[in-house]
Amino acid sequence: MDRNGKVKTEAEQDPQPVKKQQVSNDDLYRRSTQYEMWSYTAESFEETRRKANESGRKAATEKFNEVFESIRQKSPEPFEKFKEELNPEKLLDLLTYEEETKYLHYYSRSIIQTCNHFKMPTQVRATAVSFFKKFYLVQSVSEYHPKNILYTCVFLAAKSENYFISIESFVKALVKVLTKDILDLEFIVLQSLKFTLMVHHPFRPLYGFFLDSQAVLLHPSPLMYDVNIDTLGSLYDKSKKWLNDYALLSDVAFLFTPPQIALAAMYDIDKRITDRYLKKVFLKEQKLEVIDEEPKESGFIKKEEPEEAEGVEPKEDKKDPQREQYETLVKTIRRCIRIAKQIPETTKEESKNIDKKCFFTLNPTRLIEKRVTKLSSPSPEIKQEAA
Amino acid sequence: MTTAPLKYSKSKKVGEGTYAVVYLGTQISSNRKIAIKEIKTGMFKDGLDMSAIREVKYLQELKHPNVIELVDVFSATNNLNLVLEFLPCDLEVLIKDTSVVFKSADIKSWLLMTLRGIHHCHRNFILHRDLKPNNLLLAPDGQLKIADFGLARSLGNANEDLTSNVVTRWYRAPELLFGAKHYTPAVDMWSVGIIFAELMLRTPYLPGKDDVDQLDVTFRALGTPTEQIWPNVSMLPQYNALRVYPPPSRQELRNRFSAATEKSLDLLISMTQLDPSRRCDLTQALLHEFFLESPRPTEPEDLPKKKEKRVKEEDDEMNKRFKV
Ligand SMILES: Nc1ncnc2c1ncn2[C@@H]1O[C@H](COP(=O)(O)OP(=O)(O)O)[C@@H](O)[C@H]1O
Repeated sequence: MDRNGKVKTEAEQDPQPVKKQQVSNDDLYRRSTQYEMWSYTAESFEETRRKANESGRKAATEKFNEVFESIRQKSPEPFEKFKEELNPEKLLDLLTYEEETKYLHYYSRSIIQTCNHFKMPTQVRATAVSFFKKFYLVQSVSEYHPKNILYTCVFLAAKSENYFISIESFVKALVKVLTKDILDLEFIVLQSLKFTLMVHHPFRPLYGFFLDSQAVLLHPSPLMYDVNIDTLGSLYDKSKKWLNDYALLSDVAFLFTPPQIALAAMYDIDKRITDRYLKKVFLKEQKLEVIDEEPKESGFIKKEEPEEAEGVEPKEDKKDPQREQYETLVKTIRRCIRIAKQIPETTKEESKNIDKKCFFTLNPTRLIEKRVTKLSSPSPEIKQEAA
Repeated sequence: MTTAPLKYSKSKKVGEGTYAVVYLGTQISSNRKIAIKEIKTGMFKDGLDMSAIREVKYLQELKHPNVIELVDVFSATNNLNLVLEFLPCDLEVLIKDTSVVFKSADIKSWLLMTLRGIHHCHRNFILHRDLKPNNLLLAPDGQLKIADFGLARSLGNANEDLTSNVVTRWYRAPELLFGAKHYTPAVDMWSVGIIFAELMLRTPYLPGKDDVDQLDVTFRALGTPTEQIWPNVSMLPQYNALRVYPPPSRQELRNRFSAATEKSLDLLISMTQLDPSRRCDLTQALLHEFFLESPRPTEPEDLPKKKEKRVKEEDDEMNKRFKV
């Protein structure tokens, strides 16, 4: 559902006696590539990410073995001498699924910094993050280092959102990035995105709900004694910030629809107003007073309630469909809030370690040569240097 | 969506645009005729061309009988290939072909299909921004398909300014001519109105020679907008030193479009309102009484077709058969 969630007729007044079909905005969303190709359940999302990590590790292992063999053939002595230390099992240290996930979250944050540096609009920022996350649903950091992918995603997102920036001025503002680094990756990114560039963000539906909540809660007369246009305006602003802080960085865009995410933002910012709004929209046929007095209702929306308890609802058979729809929506919203706030935190130390691992995964030659040099080094003290 | 190029066979080159070469081809599995638009990559200073990006972005989302179908996208040797349904003709070709007679039911049918396609775009928050007869392609079964989304864009990110330098000049709405930075789906509606007029006249309605002349041609035909009929128009960037023409009288319009019914004039007037906020939207246009009065719109398969083209097509068919 969105602001215009009511079923609208496709406004084709066809004078011919052809049977007309009605297409709702929900139907339109279901036909979007975002829904068709990039929507997951929590389980299938994790599975896809794990698979990407898995195949990245596999590719990195193959690359490593190749490099290892070729170096050993060129200069076999150290490999004879340090058989114990110089074997692939010992040298190879690939990123685990958890490490990769943390690493990607770390880089998602730098997308936002990059976009802010260029003063790009919200739309570009949000699309760039979406491209980046989609890229790593298909690919892995064990094959593509996130730094240049992140810049490429920003560059492509800017173009896709009609906020063109020339490659020269883009690269000029970045450190140690060449024009070629980005242009060479642009097509690979587009391909990994399965050539789908349209991203539906929750900002538009949020604005819709802002307008609609005014109509529903303030007109013809205010429904809540302490809610006026300023209250709703402030709810809107805070919700926008919420979307930037939580929705953008978490994975909710792959698990929920944009209107659901927008409602989650509002609900988390002000449960009381948002809930009243939802009730008014969904349960309009019933008398609100009665609903508000219902004791189960207040229990249902209690925040501290554990997840499982959500299912503990009156199991009466005569539950009316509107109420059921409302309850399902609130459950969805609350699940969305919970997932939005599960952004893994990474310490600086941790990211540095992961960063190093990633570097050597992508540059096995450097890894092997470094080990060889260290082992062959005459002074054992120097060995103490970082591995 | 990423498919091996082996799924399609290319037969011959049919056209070349600024950023793409178009080939005719066949989808091997179905023997369906298709057009392959091969977008050159790696030859532009700034990477993938903006028009190509827009075309892919929007066509991926728009599935409608009156919007060109993007059958597939694939990459081959770092080239981006758009597989499009094969559309052998366009409305401009027919308008120019004086041997083809347009009945008013035919015009109604083309107009209706155009409006349906655009309505679908607008419902998906997509502005086409370059509607003209040349971009309204015709399928062999007579269906009209909106094509060329190289200038399209998404609607409604309030914090962005839009460029007013879009839409081929003759079909450019007055707010764009005045350099408006915040425009609406009404720019597409204007273009459809001008195309409607062109279908009736069989010649371009407002053929300005340059951007300045376009203002003059437009207002000579439709009257110069004033603050009275279009509040705040004088605030727009390029609104200055205009010659003041009076709006055309109803009788003048009747004379201009001699075969038009009163209802078709009503619709045309509504589509070409100078003030974009007074222009009808797609829903209103589709619900207009013009579409309810007789005659009924011609069935697509019964619409006039370009004769030569059909012969050429059969030629292609023959060539292919011999090649195989
Ligand atoms: N879907 C199609 N079916 C058949 N021919 C097409 C199709 N699309 C394009 N063409 C042909 O290719 C030519 C170039 O198309 P395009 O690259 O879109 O450039 P432009 O729109 O600038 O003419 C067109 O003039 C037309 O003859």
